[in-house]
Amino acid sequence: MVTVGIPRALLYYQYYPAWKVFLEKLGAKVVVSAPTNKSILNSGVMRSVQDTCLPVKVFFGHIISLVDKCDVMFVPAVTSLGKKSYNCSKLIGLPNMARALIPESPPILAPEINCEKGRYNLYRNIYAVGRYFTSNPFKLKKAVEEAWASNLDYQGKMSDEGITPLQAIDCQLSPDVNSSSFTIAVIGHPYIIYDEYVSHRLISQLQKKEVKVVTPEMVSPEELDAATRRLVGVPHWLFESEIIGAGEYYMETRVDGIIIVAAFGCGPDSMMLGIVQHRARELGIPILPFSLDEHSSEGGLLTRLEAFLDMVKRRERI
Amino acid sequence: MSVGFPHFGNVYIPIKAMTKRLGAPDGEVIIPPPITQRTLDLGVKYSPQEACLPYKLTLGSLIEACELGADTLIQARGTGICRLGYYAKGQEQMLQDLGYNAHFLTLDVSHNKFIGIMRLIQDMNSNLPWREIIPAFFFAIGKLFALDKIEKVVQKVRAVEVEKGTASRIYREAINVVDEATGSKEVKEITKEYIHKLTQVPKDPTAKPLKVGIVGEIYVVIEPFANMDIELELGKLGIEVERTMTLSRWIKYSLFLNYLGVDEWKEVHKLAGPYVDHDIGGDGWESVGEKVLYAREGFDGVIHLAPFTCMPEIVAENIMPSTKEDIPVLTVTCDEQQSKQGMLTRLEAFVDLIGFRRRRREHGRRV
Repeated sequence: MVTVGIPRALLYYQYYPAWKVFLEKLGAKVVVSAPTNKSILNSGVMRSVQDTCLPVKVFFGHIISLVDKCDVMFVPAVTSLGKKSYNCSKLIGLPNMARALIPESPPILAPEINCEKGRYNLYRNIYAVGRYFTSNPFKLKKAVEEAWASNLDYQGKMSDEGITPLQAIDCQLSPDVNSSSFTIAVIGHPYIIYDEYVSHRLISQLQKKEVKVVTPEMVSPEELDAATRRLVGVPHWLFESEIIGAGEYYMETRVDGIIIVAAFGCGPDSMMLGIVQHRARELGIPILPFSLDEHSSEGGLLTRLEAFLDMVKRRERI
Repeated sequence: MSVGFPHFGNVYIPIKAMTKRLGAPDGEVIIPPPITQRTLDLGVKYSPQEACLPYKLTLGSLIEACELGADTLIQARGTGICRLGYYAKGQEQMLQDLGYNAHFLTLDVSHNKFIGIMRLIQDMNSNLPWREIIPAFFFAIGKLFALDKIEKVVQKVRAVEVEKGTASRIYREAINVVDEATGSKEVKEITKEYIHKLTQVPKDPTAKPLKVGIVGEIYVVIEPFANMDIELELGKLGIEVERTMTLSRWIKYSLFLNYLGVDEWKEVHKLAGPYVDHDIGGDGWESVGEKVLYAREGFDGVIHLAPFTCMPEIVAENIMPSTKEDIPVLTVTCDEQQSKQGMLTRLEAFVDLIGFRRRRREHGRRV
């Protein structure tokens, strides 16, 4: 049986259930790396160029931690999932960078998912991956269909029940029963806000302070998309609805405050957050931007968080 | 209507030429002042902190155009993978906040470029027939081709001239003369004349200059302010510079030959193939391929220019050291914090290094 390694970083938080079903139906065993910790982060930071953003460094750390635990690594290059909206370059070049920076890694399976190039190209790329496990095209087709179904199921579960990807993946069906009427939206890429080491457990810190936390995944993709179009028109990036769409959606529903979490040096975020901040100023909604890198400390984050919450609560009273 | 546009290398020359040729009234096209520290300061002040240098410089340039009264601004747009597609959105919002009521005309640089440019020109000169616009357009880009042709010679002469700075002085003169030329024939003659002048510059006959290729993101490679005149500084150190990325090349292929199925990057993409096999946006793929190309052609080094936080160039920077073709690469990150002295120190160290390597190769031992 082939063991396939999936790094617990970047697109893991969006597509892991689908990948797992796909690979297991093809008869592979799936290994996921451990949650991010200090040694994973450090090994990733050591390998990559200094200017690389934190989530990508973390990703390389996860690959290094999986090197002798699997026969093959699964790192899709997700380029485009819709008309003229692309992913960030670093995610597109991810398998190439991984091969260059981690030469000791087992072979990397890297299907290019590019809907711009048409259906045929997509099928051929998926088939090329499937060939590694099976030569039976019907088995492959079935695996793809089931993977797609589980992806829809996963997304639906998050938006219907209002739970985070971590809860949905681990099947802990205990949505946050915080009855507090005080709502804060945490906006950011899932690979930053749900990586507890990178985000310094931001979400649970907030919940501990009796705040109801809402995140982009708790809204259905269609609504996010509609909100994006209302604010900026046709999306330019694949994950634009995660940031701009979610920001706009939650601002329209008048949350009490917004925390945006970005990685330092993230190209797309540097543009999109400007637009969200501008909109928040227009609507008069408090906003707290966090820029995280490998040097950010939990203490500094907590201090700012407490000050922000005090400010928002006080505003409420007045 | 008065149209403003951001500075980008010599791009203002053809725009100026075309407006003159089409008989636009004074003040219809506003050429912003050349990029200076003030442009950068303005751009930095009003941009998101982590935006890239081209965004900040073009925003600064557009603000300066608005100050001169421009109400319609031209900016590039694309559905590429990098931030370029967002420039117009962000900048339009910022200019409105600043109180300039400017309208943006965007030029798509990833699809239908020729038609896009022609439409843009027609939008600006609403009542002119095509038979006047097209010859004016060719006359205008002719100037760009002439300047790039002269610059190619300048890059070679700078390295070996006896009195440093002569070639650059001639080049500056050529820019002014070409800018003022009024006919295609005149432009051709000027090109010939200046290339001749450059060949007459006294040169050191014994010099065997080191050769360095320049790769990287198109804006910082072409705009001398963004890269702090790196080519000129290399010339002063006696280094011959080669750079494939020029505006005239972009025009030649993107506007004409690509439609006929000629891909100027085909060879470069093939060379990059083992390391990057698909487009990663911006100029990242080309940077990796050109590194391999320069290594194969026996260059002594490669200088890689990238704006700070540029995504495609970071991918390229990560991949470059692992290529089989071995050639020293110096990555220079361009942003508003850079200092010329810091860059010069790094350049000197790099030049020493590649000089050592060449001597070792020639003598087969450490020297």
